[in-house]
Amino acid sequence: MSLSDATRQTEPRAGSLRLVELFVDNIVWAILAITLLAFCLFIPGYGQTGIFLNIVEQSAFVGILSVGLSIAIISGQIDLSIESTMALAAMATAVLVSSSAAGFGWTPQPLWLVVPGSLLVALCVGLAVGSFNAFLVIRLKLNAFIATLGSYILFRGAVVALSGGKTVFGLPSPLRAVALSKVLGVPLLAWVTVAVFLAFTFILTKTPFGRYVYLVGGNPVAPFRAGIRVRSVSAAAFLLSAVLAAFAGWLLATRTSGATPNLGIGMLFEAFAAVVIGGVSLKGGEGKLSGVVAGVLLLSSIRTAVNLLMLQPHYTQMIQGGLVIAAMLLDSAKHSIRSRYL
Amino acid sequence: MSSTETEPKHGGDLLQLENVTMRYGAIAALQDVSLGVAAGEVVALLGDNGAGKSTAIKIISGSVKPTSGRLVFEGIPREFESPRASKELGIEIVYQDLSICMNVDVVANFFMGRELVKRVLGVPVLREREMQRITEKVMADGGTKVKSVRQNAEHLSGGQRQAIELNRFVYWGGKLVVLDEPFAALGIEQVRRGLENIRRVRDQGLAVIIVTHNLHHAFQIADRLVVFRQGRLVLDKSTSDCTHETVSQAITGDGPPVQIQ
Repeated sequence: MSLSDATRQTEPRAGSLRLVELFVDNIVWAILAITLLAFCLFIPGYGQTGIFLNIVEQSAFVGILSVGLSIAIISGQIDLSIESTMALAAMATAVLVSSSAAGFGWTPQPLWLVVPGSLLVALCVGLAVGSFNAFLVIRLKLNAFIATLGSYILFRGAVVALSGGKTVFGLPSPLRAVALSKVLGVPLLAWVTVAVFLAFTFILTKTPFGRYVYLVGGNPVAPFRAGIRVRSVSAAAFLLSAVLAAFAGWLLATRTSGATPNLGIGMLFEAFAAVVIGGVSLKGGEGKLSGVVAGVLLLSSIRTAVNLLMLQPHYTQMIQGGLVIAAMLLDSAKHSIRSRYL
Repeated sequence: MSSTETEPKHGGDLLQLENVTMRYGAIAALQDVSLGVAAGEVVALLGDNGAGKSTAIKIISGSVKPTSGRLVFEGIPREFESPRASKELGIEIVYQDLSICMNVDVVANFFMGRELVKRVLGVPVLREREMQRITEKVMADGGTKVKSVRQNAEHLSGGQRQAIELNRFVYWGGKLVVLDEPFAALGIEQVRRGLENIRRVRDQGLAVIIVTHNLHHAFQIADRLVVFRQGRLVLDKSTSDCTHETVSQAITGDGPPVQIQ
């Protein structure tokens, strides 16, 4: 607060301040660009279209999880259960259609019906888990962190129970095609991920519901007093994060051609890292999906680099952990820059 | 000073509390209070802590129902089931920053809960440009200067935030606004602007109740002063008929007059 009130009110600086704000808001994109450039320059074989497509494709699951998690966090809540929801939906898909061990072996006529059928089942799993979380947090007023931590453990247990602790594999070909086909030379999974990001960017920035998510996350009292149904908005945030997680689980099942009881363990923290790196504030009410995209891509490109360098995978973990801490530092730096200059 | 000094009520009051008593168990927070507020009038509610001001506001806002007595708004006896009911009739209670979201811009705050939308393939889409245009116009008409209505509310001063609330209230057809300690956290210059805002609201024919501890502000802005003491209305007079001394005496009871500024 070294600035006097006089300098604070000088108008000509407004333009450059806008630039500072723009930069601070999108700094994660700058970091991503620099990182990718450095990788291309210094890691042999990194700078190829195939690698980049792979990065986007690899981002699909964590990416879609991150969208749901972002909505939950922006609305002022938290959802730790997404990873287990994803695994449960994947396992439900696998159990429904697989003909192996614990599989139910559903084979409709014509066979392509397994695609919408299993997707519907997976999304219903998401709806059920989301309703459960919303009930705990909004109706019973439990702390969201603890309640969804409970769900996280509970539904991972359900995954194991559902599969009898065994891997369920072998999916019919129409489902495999979801994960393996390409459109215009780009994997379908990448297209789907991009579509999810675009759709939810639109919802968050252009629709009243998106506006309410920010309002409720910023100060729930104000929208309540303005007649907005705050509890419904919070409940919708839980439903969306769970349904998106379930969708990611369905995609993951098609990709791995089945599900294992420990499928996707660790993805919660990757999603968390991406969301925080992407600039979503844990306080709620703040953050953009455009930043989250960059966060997801940054983590994915680092993982790819570690693979290419044939480092031990635990380096990925260390780098990601360090990035989360760096992102938190960046967040607080942003706030102090804001309060000082803007 | 045991008798109540009141002047005869003029007709056409917007809001009337008639013989309102509010009991919480054995404690009477308000006892037989009658009070009227007309359109185009600023009334200051004064009184010590626990005098009954907050209870009166809660009754007006519909947060609580009086034990006995009635509330008449626009000539019709009302029983508010909730704050929403009073709000729908045009009664707004403004608490310091409570109705503002700091993390969104002026436009989003201005249109909170009343966003303009168009339908694109059945999906409601915000009409940002239209909302921005209206917000800019209303803020300018209200005499409030903000650098940009696309600025987040956290970057605004307390006075500017209050101006958003007042302008919003006027724009959406509010009739009676209650400001609870509107100047508590403001600097001198901002208080001046806040007083100006309130005058402007009054001049548009709306009724304003301000609740304050600050006699100085009350004398500057209010057309009428109302004093509560121990749940009773003990003074209700035109500001021009009051002196600081009579009012502070009414506030404190029979004690020695308190000198204020």
